[in-house]
Amino acid sequence: MEGNVYIPKPEEQLPSVDLEDSQGLLQWISSVDHKQIGILYLLMAVLYLLVGGLAALLIRTQLIVPENHFLSPQVYNQLFTMHGTTMIFFVLTPATLGFSVYMTPLMIGANEMAFPRLNAFGFWIAFFGGLLLYFSFLAGGAPDTGWFNYAPLNERAYASTPGVDYYCIGLLLGGIGTVGTAINLIVTILKMRMPGMQLRHLPVFVWMVLVTSFLILAAFPTLNAALSMLLLDRLWQAHFFAATAGGSALLWQHLFWAFGHPEVYILVLPAFGILSEVFQVYSRKPIFGYTFVVASGVAIALLAFGVWVHHMFATGQTNTFNAFFAASSMLIGIPTGVKVFNWLATLYGGSIRFTTSMLFALAFLVEFTIGGLSGVSFAVVPIDWQLTDTYYVVAHLHYVFVGGTLFGLLAGLFYWFPKLSGRMISERLGRWFFWLFTIGFNLTFFVQHFLGVIGLPRRVYTYPNLPYYGSLNLISTVGGFLMGAAVLFLLYILYQSIKRGEKAPDDPWDAYTLEWLTTSPPQLQNFGTVPPVRSFQPLRDLKQDLNKTKTA
Amino acid sequence: MMFLVIGTEAVFFLSLIVAFVYYSLASGFNPQATQQLSLATTGAFSVLLLSSSFTFWRAEVSYQRGQVGGLKGWLLATMALGGIFLLGQGWEYWHLFVRDFTISKGIFSTSFYTLTGFHVLHLLIGLIMLGVVFWLAVLGDFDRPNSLVIPTAGIYWHFVDAVWVLVFTVVYLFPHILYKPS
Amino acid sequence: MLYSLAPPSIFDPASREADRLYALDVYFIVASLAVLLLVIGLLIYIVLKFRAQPGDEEPRQIGGNRKLEILMIGGPTVLVAIFFYLTVTTMRAVHPPAGNRSPDVVINGRQFWWEASYPGTAVTTANEIHLPVGRTLLLQLRAADVIHDWWVPTLGQKMDAIPGQSNHLWVTIKKPGIYDGVCSEFCGAQHAWMRIRVVAQPEAEYRRWLQERGQSARTPAGGTALTGAHIFKNATCGNCHRVRGTDASGNAGPDLTHFASRKTMLAGMLPNTKENVRKWLQNPQAVKPGALMPQFKYPKDSLNALVDYLVSLQ
Repeated sequence: MEGNVYIPKPEEQLPSVDLEDSQGLLQWISSVDHKQIGILYLLMAVLYLLVGGLAALLIRTQLIVPENHFLSPQVYNQLFTMHGTTMIFFVLTPATLGFSVYMTPLMIGANEMAFPRLNAFGFWIAFFGGLLLYFSFLAGGAPDTGWFNYAPLNERAYASTPGVDYYCIGLLLGGIGTVGTAINLIVTILKMRMPGMQLRHLPVFVWMVLVTSFLILAAFPTLNAALSMLLLDRLWQAHFFAATAGGSALLWQHLFWAFGHPEVYILVLPAFGILSEVFQVYSRKPIFGYTFVVASGVAIALLAFGVWVHHMFATGQTNTFNAFFAASSMLIGIPTGVKVFNWLATLYGGSIRFTTSMLFALAFLVEFTIGGLSGVSFAVVPIDWQLTDTYYVVAHLHYVFVGGTLFGLLAGLFYWFPKLSGRMISERLGRWFFWLFTIGFNLTFFVQHFLGVIGLPRRVYTYPNLPYYGSLNLISTVGGFLMGAAVLFLLYILYQSIKRGEKAPDDPWDAYTLEWLTTSPPQLQNFGTVPPVRSFQPLRDLKQDLNKTKTA
Repeated sequence: MMFLVIGTEAVFFLSLIVAFVYYSLASGFNPQATQQLSLATTGAFSVLLLSSSFTFWRAEVSYQRGQVGGLKGWLLATMALGGIFLLGQGWEYWHLFVRDFTISKGIFSTSFYTLTGFHVLHLLIGLIMLGVVFWLAVLGDFDRPNSLVIPTAGIYWHFVDAVWVLVFTVVYLFPHILYKPS
Repeated sequence: MLYSLAPPSIFDPASREADRLYALDVYFIVASLAVLLLVIGLLIYIVLKFRAQPGDEEPRQIGGNRKLEILMIGGPTVLVAIFFYLTVTTMRAVHPPAGNRSPDVVINGRQFWWEASYPGTAVTTANEIHLPVGRTLLLQLRAADVIHDWWVPTLGQKMDAIPGQSNHLWVTIKKPGIYDGVCSEFCGAQHAWMRIRVVAQPEAEYRRWLQERGQSARTPAGGTALTGAHIFKNATCGNCHRVRGTDASGNAGPDLTHFASRKTMLAGMLPNTKENVRKWLQNPQAVKPGALMPQFKYPKDSLNALVDYLVSLQ
């Protein structure tokens, strides 16, 4: 155990990279510093959140009463397609990558990512991919075939605007950025850990980032293949997905979901990692069952490649074929359940502080359990045969994407905001935001389970005046606007905190991992020297050692 | 790092190959179309491409021994072989176009052009990479051994060759063996 | 009334297959509620009991407990095994293979309506599909353009209609009645208005219906309806629509032989009234934007005559 203990002071000569004394737009745009790129990713996520959220509110407005004429079906179909595509590829993915590239080097005691310029490239190409996707509105129409863009509806014969072409190219560009960043993260984690930090000392968040990066490398190429094949069909009259010429509409579904299912785990595993950190710090206990939590993450990643047909149970495959994927889909629920129980066990016997971050983490446990249970219901094939493609699915996916991933990201945002910005967020304001958002969210989506059960399919621009259809949709729309208001309130809170928040100390939460060893925000060079490592809680160990030397 | 890159690209090619195999098993696949491909010619060009893996290996060995001249020479040979293969592919494409075997003709031709086309694209990227490495060698960057750049470029180049072995087997050899002309 | 008093709910099973599915639904709801209540209960307990108090010491640092982990894996595994068994048995019961049996109805999904033909008869209709009660029927599902999906919630499962492929569904309807459904795979602009109406009848009534619908269209006796019939012929309506017994034999659009016998039009969007037919013919895009019916310009009298003709096609 060697290595001096050195805690950098805020008056260090090196310039910081905080938001307050900005070094100008040009410096930010040309930066290759992982901390600035992390923040750029988060800003990108916020921008596209506003745009995608606006689409959602327009959708909910159209659906507020039966047979509404606020939006034409053509416009509506573009909006719901763009809403889904934006939220998945240009909000949740960059937000996740933002925290990943910001925090990973800090948590492993490194001063940079392995390939800083690749890091910057990954961000900018993803950002421009999103802009290109949105440019389609001005170029004849945005894609209007749904975020999973099934064949043959996505062929030129049925989707004659260039929207689907922009979808393909925008996602190809975004995908290139994501894959590049995944490679960067893997090499960083495997090669740039501080001396003494073995893999079994990695914080759970870093483990999840590592596993997710491998998932990205294995899943995105399948999407790229499908998108390339579709572009060839549309632009050069190839015949991959057009049934009339011998192609196969189902092949698109296989390729897309072979990507699409791992993709949802790409979006949720890092959030699981964030929550693992948050639960520890705010209950002042180590994660319960570290090995099992990490192993379940690996198990989920491996199983993720064996479940994709559960998106296709109603396409007419044989019972045997479906049964195999039913089994795998049910099995994948087990490691997820293990995580939930381990988090509860972490809290048990702890000393729990109800900060805003922790509120989101606790709410996550309920929301994600609901989402996970509705998800497992789809593994039971006959239930899927009733409820797939209804609003029940819409409820499920929002409970896992919002109640799961987004709540995890918000827990991370409130946890790490002092480190990122050097300012504290008022707990009072944070609490208001939490309740506004959580109530709005549940109001919007809980009733959608019922709408699915009473026969409302998804992706419909309107619906007939059947009993309960109108009233439940009304409740859902009200909830949606509440969520929208909450998001705007969040932006106000963030702005307020940056401008006038209380200055943050290095380690406001008495946390356990190394990012809290740096200043808030960290200097350009993260670490001068680093402490010895003997567990996955290196900062706690350090603080204990310091206490011992003090009392000695 | 390069292993991760070729890992992800391997999945990409695997997806395209899966699509190709999927179609060959589906009805409507026209085995007669496979007769249009010239096995012998493409086979000959393939031998040239695979030899380029040998020449690159020699380049790497020269580099380790500090023989910069050898490095440059063998690199040029590798690029030349790759370039000839590229020209050969272009010639084959031309021949097929002229006989109306286009990407929109049927599912065999669609899959054929896509799979071989993406291989050509990766080969082109490889040639550019080798070109850059060659230029850096001329500028003196590799006068001393132990840089990781040469082996890294090698991993990519061998990958391109390995993919070609797979593509050639699946697209040219299997249909030829499995579908006898009636 | 256009729609029934109850929404089409899966908890309102009207077929034997739907009954089977309903049972499985209930088991699953019970099991998942138990899990959810367990999680919520634990959380509430934890949150109340372990709140941080000022001056708290660091709590006992417990790394894990192997036995507990095994339990946490074992419990869900048992549930998985049970539900896997139920899944396979239910699948086999409600969706056995079609085998060599000839279907009772062939459904062809199109943008944006459902074509139904009855093998062994001359009957072809659209969107309102009559079925007999009390015996197990085989529905064959096809699609002419993009992927659609047939779903009548009260009658059981859904099934995709995929171009180039033939899928199937079994249904044994328990009681006569009207059962509403809807296309359940996004298929383009008017996916929302591609609704299904199953009219289940006792066997004898059903046979009578089949026999009546198998007959050719009546020629109008005279008056505006007869004028309308001529306009129908001259305006090339027959290039897309079939009216059996006349020259009109197109199949791009719905079969209109017994158009007026259907209670709804435009796949469940509007009641089939004279006024609605007139509005539709005048400007299809204003009524169902994105529908594939072209707009013809008729002088007012011609329009009225055409409407009278269509309304006569009982």
